[in-house]
Amino acid sequence: MNAIVVRNLTKYFTPSKKEKKKGRARNPSLESRKQGNNSIIRAVDHIDFEVKNGEIFGFLGPNGAGKTTTIRMLTGILKPTNGEILIFGQNFWNNPIKAKQIMGHVPEEANVYMDLTGLENLSFIGELYGISKKERISRAEQLLKKFELFEKRHLKSKKYSKGMKQRLLLCMALMSNPKILFLDEPTSGLDVQSSIIIKKLIKDYNKNGMTIFMTTHDMDVANEMCDRIAIINRGKLIGLDTPENLKKLKQEYQAVDFYFTKEAKESELENLSSVKEVRKIRDYYHIIVHDLNDGICEIIEYIKSKNLKVKKINTYEPHLEEVFLKMVNGGDDY
Amino acid sequence: MIIKDNEEIFSEELKSERFFIQVKRSFAIAKKDLKIYYNKGPVVIQGFLFPLILFFAFTVGRNIIPIYLISGLMAMVMFMTSTSIGPVVFPWETRSKTLERLIACPISIKTILLGNIWSSFIFGCVFSIVPLLLGILFFGLWASINILIIILGIIVASLAFSSFSLILSVPPTDMPANTMILTILIKFPILLLTPIFMPIHAAPYGIVSPLTYYTDIINVGLGESSAFGPHGLLLDFCILILFGLGFTFLAFVLHGKTLQKRFRG
Ligand SMILES: Nc1ncnc2c1ncn2[C@@H]1O[C@H](COP(=O)(O)OP(=O)(O)OP(=O)(O)O)[C@@H](O)[C@H]1O
Ligand SMILES: [Mg+2]
Repeated sequence: MNAIVVRNLTKYFTPSKKEKKKGRARNPSLESRKQGNNSIIRAVDHIDFEVKNGEIFGFLGPNGAGKTTTIRMLTGILKPTNGEILIFGQNFWNNPIKAKQIMGHVPEEANVYMDLTGLENLSFIGELYGISKKERISRAEQLLKKFELFEKRHLKSKKYSKGMKQRLLLCMALMSNPKILFLDEPTSGLDVQSSIIIKKLIKDYNKNGMTIFMTTHDMDVANEMCDRIAIINRGKLIGLDTPENLKKLKQEYQAVDFYFTKEAKESELENLSSVKEVRKIRDYYHIIVHDLNDGICEIIEYIKSKNLKVKKINTYEPHLEEVFLKMVNGGDDY
Repeated sequence: MIIKDNEEIFSEELKSERFFIQVKRSFAIAKKDLKIYYNKGPVVIQGFLFPLILFFAFTVGRNIIPIYLISGLMAMVMFMTSTSIGPVVFPWETRSKTLERLIACPISIKTILLGNIWSSFIFGCVFSIVPLLLGILFFGLWASINILIIILGIIVASLAFSSFSLILSVPPTDMPANTMILTILIKFPILLLTPIFMPIHAAPYGIVSPLTYYTDIINVGLGESSAFGPHGLLLDFCILILFGLGFTFLAFVLHGKTLQKRFRG
């Protein structure tokens, strides 16, 4: 059974008068999505996908791709311009309250109530989900213990650190023991330690049967966490894949930047067996290799033989956008 | 988790879309509002400071009979407090980024608005006790008082003005100050049009202000006769109830329309 089915989901925004006056899009990819002179922003543009019950489904895309807009439509915050959302077979917008009852959500830029304590925040959310007082308190205490906030449960949330607030938000989303948990960039802006804790707990909940829908712009997070990953760019879905395939794709894009003291010959570098492509950019050579290790060894050999000296080497993590472009254009338009 | 059919997923849950369950959840919203706003600027200033200042501005040097003194003070306190938080809740929640979380919960915008009405209602009632006690203790008004009329009046007026105040937060701004300005521009004329601290006949234009009818109820409760004839009291209540229902309905419709604009990318 599918937890979520999305058909033809679309969201267009018409910019407010103020934004029109500014005449400047908040991000460059926007220009291309604007339509004519009434400048409609196609934030999400006719997308289809399914999320299976019990999986961790990743929604991967660069800034402004439409991830938050999608998650907001799935959680009843934004009304879609068009399209259909089915939650366990039921049309979301026919009865949003019923659907929301089985969901939990950590919005991208959400916050807790600063004037309430940790426990009060949780109890309040529990009440909105119709959980009895006794059950609320016991669930809240369990969660606070699990997320290491129990000691501070009677402290007003304005005295919490950023990481603690993030954890409290996650607790709030878990209060109702949801069937589907929505997470918008759950680890962004957190230190390594906190993000490891959160990732582990998310996986634990998933093992116990919770379906997870998460967005991220970080390929590594997506690969590490998700069973399947949908890739969204400029409002359109451009791929749906497993982490393995995505990793392969990424490896195909391994590159090294070499800074030499003298000019080298591009054609000679390109003839090396493990080198795929060479481009001279200002004072360095951007070399795309089939395999990072073999590539570097071979290039070093070449350097020795030509008496070149290396000033600096950077290995190069491909950007998401580049992998996307490769998927869309077959890599020609790098 | 093995799920046999979709009924199982939803049926174990409460039928949370039902009316009375939503009303229950609106109490949770009200409780939250009370906890957050009881010591915040708008409530303290409008429920306490404004009435105090205006009270002296209006009454010093004038010879006013105790009934009008108390009913005037009560009208002012009622109007100011029950409309103090309605205009700021939505901009404040938008700004502090709690609104998105709230909307994702299994409640509707109407539930949130209803919760805001309850909390303003409680502020209105609680703050009204002070001038009432003042009248009873210091002006000896207990002799002629009809406490039932006064309590009913407080309840009805408090609900009516609470729902009215929600209209003031319809513009989708995230600056509480913006709605405060709008609020003052609308609230003060209403207050000034109301014949407080004087007989209602003395100011015929007073009939345009809803607050006049509450003042009349309190006057009657304190032993005066209604300014609107033998069925005046009934008229007062009817007008306030219609006023409240009308604005509740309007708030439901208008907030439903502007809600989406509060979520910018
Ligand atoms: N309420 C809105 N009004 C107008 N434009 C919007 C609104 N919300 C989003 N947009 C635009 O729609 C596009 C998609 O935005 P969205 O927030 O969904 O992207 P995202 O994938 O979540 O990006 P990020 O990684 O930065 O969070 C952006 O160009 C954004 O400017
Ligand atoms: Mg986003």
